[in-house]
Amino acid sequence: MIRLLIYISLIALLTGSFIPLISVKHARIVRKFSLFAAVIGSIAMLAFSSAILYTGNALRIFLFQVHPLFQIGLFIDRLAAFFMFTIAIVGLAVAVYSLSYIEHYEYKTRKNVLTGLMSIFILSMALVIASANMASLLFFWEIMALSSFILVCLDYDKKETRKAALFYFAMTQLSTLFLVAAFAIIYNITGSLEITQMQSLSSGPQITPLLSTILFLCIFLGFGIKAGIIPFHKWLPYAHPAAPSNISALMSGLMIKVAIYGLIRFIMFVLPVASLWWGVLILVAGTLSAILGVIYALKEHDIKTLLAYHSIENIGIILMGFGLYIIFSLNNLTQLAMLSLASSLFHTLNHALFKSILFMAAGSVVNATGTKNIEELGGLIKKMPTTAVLFLIGAVSISGLPPFNGFVSELMLFQAFFNVYLLGSYSLQMLLVVCVAVLALTSALAAACFVKAFGIIFLAQPRSKKAEDAKEAPSSMLLGPGILAALCILLGVFSFQIFQAVSGMFGIQFSIPNLLVIGILLILTYMLALFFADSGKKSKLKNIRESETWGCGYKFPLKHIPTIPTEYTASGFSEPIVNIFKKFYLPKRNLERNYYDQAQSVFKDGFVEISLIKFFEKYMYMPVAAGVDFVSRKISRLQSAGLDAYVSYLFIACLGIIILMRFII
Amino acid sequence: MTAILQNFMQGSVQKFLRESLPILAMIGYAALNTFFVILISPFFMGVIKKAKALCQRRKGQPVLQQYYNLLKLFKKETVVSHNSSWIMLKAPYINIAVIIVASLFVPVLFSYNNTFSFYADHTTDNNTSNYTNPNNASNSPIFGNILLFLYLLALGKFFMALSGLDAGSAFGGMGSSREMSLSAILEPITFLILLAFAFVFKTTNFFEIFTLTSTTGIVLANPALILLAASLFVVLIAETARVPVDNPETHLELTMIHEAMILEQSGKNLALMEASHAIKQTLFMAVFINIFVPFGYIGNTGNIGNSAAITFVSIMIAMLWFSLKGTILAVAIALFESSTAKLRLFKVPELFMISFFLAFLTIIIEVFR
Repeated sequence: MIRLLIYISLIALLTGSFIPLISVKHARIVRKFSLFAAVIGSIAMLAFSSAILYTGNALRIFLFQVHPLFQIGLFIDRLAAFFMFTIAIVGLAVAVYSLSYIEHYEYKTRKNVLTGLMSIFILSMALVIASANMASLLFFWEIMALSSFILVCLDYDKKETRKAALFYFAMTQLSTLFLVAAFAIIYNITGSLEITQMQSLSSGPQITPLLSTILFLCIFLGFGIKAGIIPFHKWLPYAHPAAPSNISALMSGLMIKVAIYGLIRFIMFVLPVASLWWGVLILVAGTLSAILGVIYALKEHDIKTLLAYHSIENIGIILMGFGLYIIFSLNNLTQLAMLSLASSLFHTLNHALFKSILFMAAGSVVNATGTKNIEELGGLIKKMPTTAVLFLIGAVSISGLPPFNGFVSELMLFQAFFNVYLLGSYSLQMLLVVCVAVLALTSALAAACFVKAFGIIFLAQPRSKKAEDAKEAPSSMLLGPGILAALCILLGVFSFQIFQAVSGMFGIQFSIPNLLVIGILLILTYMLALFFADSGKKSKLKNIRESETWGCGYKFPLKHIPTIPTEYTASGFSEPIVNIFKKFYLPKRNLERNYYDQAQSVFKDGFVEISLIKFFEKYMYMPVAAGVDFVSRKISRLQSAGLDAYVSYLFIACLGIIILMRFII
Repeated sequence: MTAILQNFMQGSVQKFLRESLPILAMIGYAALNTFFVILISPFFMGVIKKAKALCQRRKGQPVLQQYYNLLKLFKKETVVSHNSSWIMLKAPYINIAVIIVASLFVPVLFSYNNTFSFYADHTTDNNTSNYTNPNNASNSPIFGNILLFLYLLALGKFFMALSGLDAGSAFGGMGSSREMSLSAILEPITFLILLAFAFVFKTTNFFEIFTLTSTTGIVLANPALILLAASLFVVLIAETARVPVDNPETHLELTMIHEAMILEQSGKNLALMEASHAIKQTLFMAVFINIFVPFGYIGNTGNIGNSAAITFVSIMIAMLWFSLKGTILAVAIALFESSTAKLRLFKVPELFMISFFLAFLTIIIEVFR
């Protein structure tokens, strides 16, 4: 039964990816059919992954052999099933969303490409997770990278899109490079490409500490670059805004989680027993990504870039949970270790849900208004009420507020942190104390950022003509994120019951508060407050008088001025935080003043330009790029030579190989 | 036959009573605690105002003026801006709901023992080693989770900040912006204080902490907590929008934080906002009092965990004790407010840093004890 569902899912997604190429004439029908196939594939995947999650029976399917070393086979255990479950839910919602979204896409021929590639993208992500060996993992990893690369550069007419796509491509290939290195080392040691424990047998090959360090670093960097940890995060804020919104939802909601899966899978199940510093490194990298991600997000005014930076933040939170897992489990605090791991995994699911909602809702907003700049938006809550509610649910969830799901995973992480006094080592305790403070700051800043995002996009008055003419998105673009929004609420409110069931399965206790009771109480008190405030004069609540906003006696808005000068802006909103965290932004102020007189006392006019230095780009990426450029330029000089030079190169190369062989054999 | 039926009925009624007693007690406690907190909150506001007035050698308004204000506001009509949406109208209700639910987390009358401990699973109630062994998380309390308490307040703040942006006025926007910024940099301090609690009390559940403080001499045994008291006081001042951070009297440009944010609210909605602000202040004061001056509750007259009889008189006495302690703390806040000047907005983080440092110091002391 489960096998049948798996095949249905694979075939449906595969059909979904090739149908759009069949016909250009009936493009619309073909696209609908393809998305329908994607929906069916996702539902089947949802079914089998939840079955495996429930029963815990790992499944191994052999599909195809290209070469004895390159077999395509599936291995799905609970961990893989959990990630496939996430992919299925988000894939389903995005496919539903795309039914209308794709029709709004500008270019006719590219619509079909987009539809087909979306299915391939979902399929390849699922297969990376289900891969039974490293060769097929790498194969699907590359398909995932390539399909998403093409999707990112779908708008290739725009210059910034081309830049973003190239940036993304370079980074993703870099991650593959590290993975290939890691897999080669593993193959060298074990002689097998299966994803299994390297030291499962006591008679198995011994791994030197140096090799295991190199192996860990390769795995960490390979998956970490793809996950977008700082300082390898720069591709996210470029690629996400460039891609169509449904693809951003998939990339941010799922693709970076695939990298997290790889990290968890390899560290927990493949690499030799972890050392403490692995955990510390992951924890510190996570903490840095979390705080810097949110700090950079605060200054963004491009809605999709802002969301991309929040992905970095949440990946950081997920990694913090995983790092804590390693630290606690090496200190024999099993309960706490499992609590951290559960928080990490639960946050993975939660982030996939709410970040996809946010990207899809943002996509609807961008579609309706034609701008990504939130400074031009405003007042959309009246124009797009349902989208506003969806975005609000996403915003409250990502800010980690109860009784939504984001709160639960952050709460679990904090609770794991609060038991740091059980650790033996002082230095570890101090490190964790600092991490808690940073995590608290992160979560509060995220709330501030989403007050800004929601407030500026949806509240007050439209700040431009574009926002004024916005219309509510069609129903499928509401249904897609709507599914996820419902899940966000359910996973939050019923978290206690869910984790009771989970603890029954694994025999681990999770101490989380019963949010169902809290939710009911909140609604009850809300009703009571309404009732009491309304009592006395019955109809008073309905009879609310509308008037102008208080403008200190001035009458706003002035009819002949299209923009409202008193309204608060996004830059204004984040100004205090930008000011407090000046050191992180490194603002550069270019000030010019002209005066009427020599003594410079009567001011004539002036000019000020404040720009923020792109720290990582300026000091890390660009020097590397410049270095590579320099070297390749030097090498290219060798190329433009005559025939005699080429012959001599051949000669030197042959000689070199012969000498090299001498040493190796 | 009738006898059997009677027996059965009586038995089941008794059984029903025995089983539902903890739940009834819970509801009774919750109602009592909540009503008391709601009722007393404007009083503390009034006390602070009066004490500040006296410091400035003014006569000041009557202590009960806050009650009159709230009643007056409740009678007034609500005026909202053309620009605003449902967020503006719902935010006060969400806010008061959140604050009232949060008030269930902070006991002000009772010292906690197992009867009132709100454990999800009553069968494991007698596991007294709960707070000594945090690894054993089998007792999962519904209430008392500090994180939930803080995040509930944050939920209220989130919607309050949104309502500030809703009317499209510069005041509201500036208020929300500053409120969210300051609360963001306050958050690490709050969490470090919690962590310090975890180091001292080995738990972060309010009920367990309060049980420990009210039944043992743990506060006296840990002088480092004095540092924490200072730190918590700063959080109290900041969360309740008081002088070095904000000025509760005005919404004008120097302060423009909390008051500016709710400037567009009016009538009932404003009354709810003010009431929830007052309750929030009482809650933070209660946390402070429960940890550092833990006496006078019902339930700690005897030995550890022994509950005294809950009678009308004992409840009254507990209420009086709390009012008295609250008044003293309120006067202290007023004196503190009168003796300092409002800090510039960008100097506020320095104040927070002091508080941060004190909490960190507590942890260091506890780590190396």
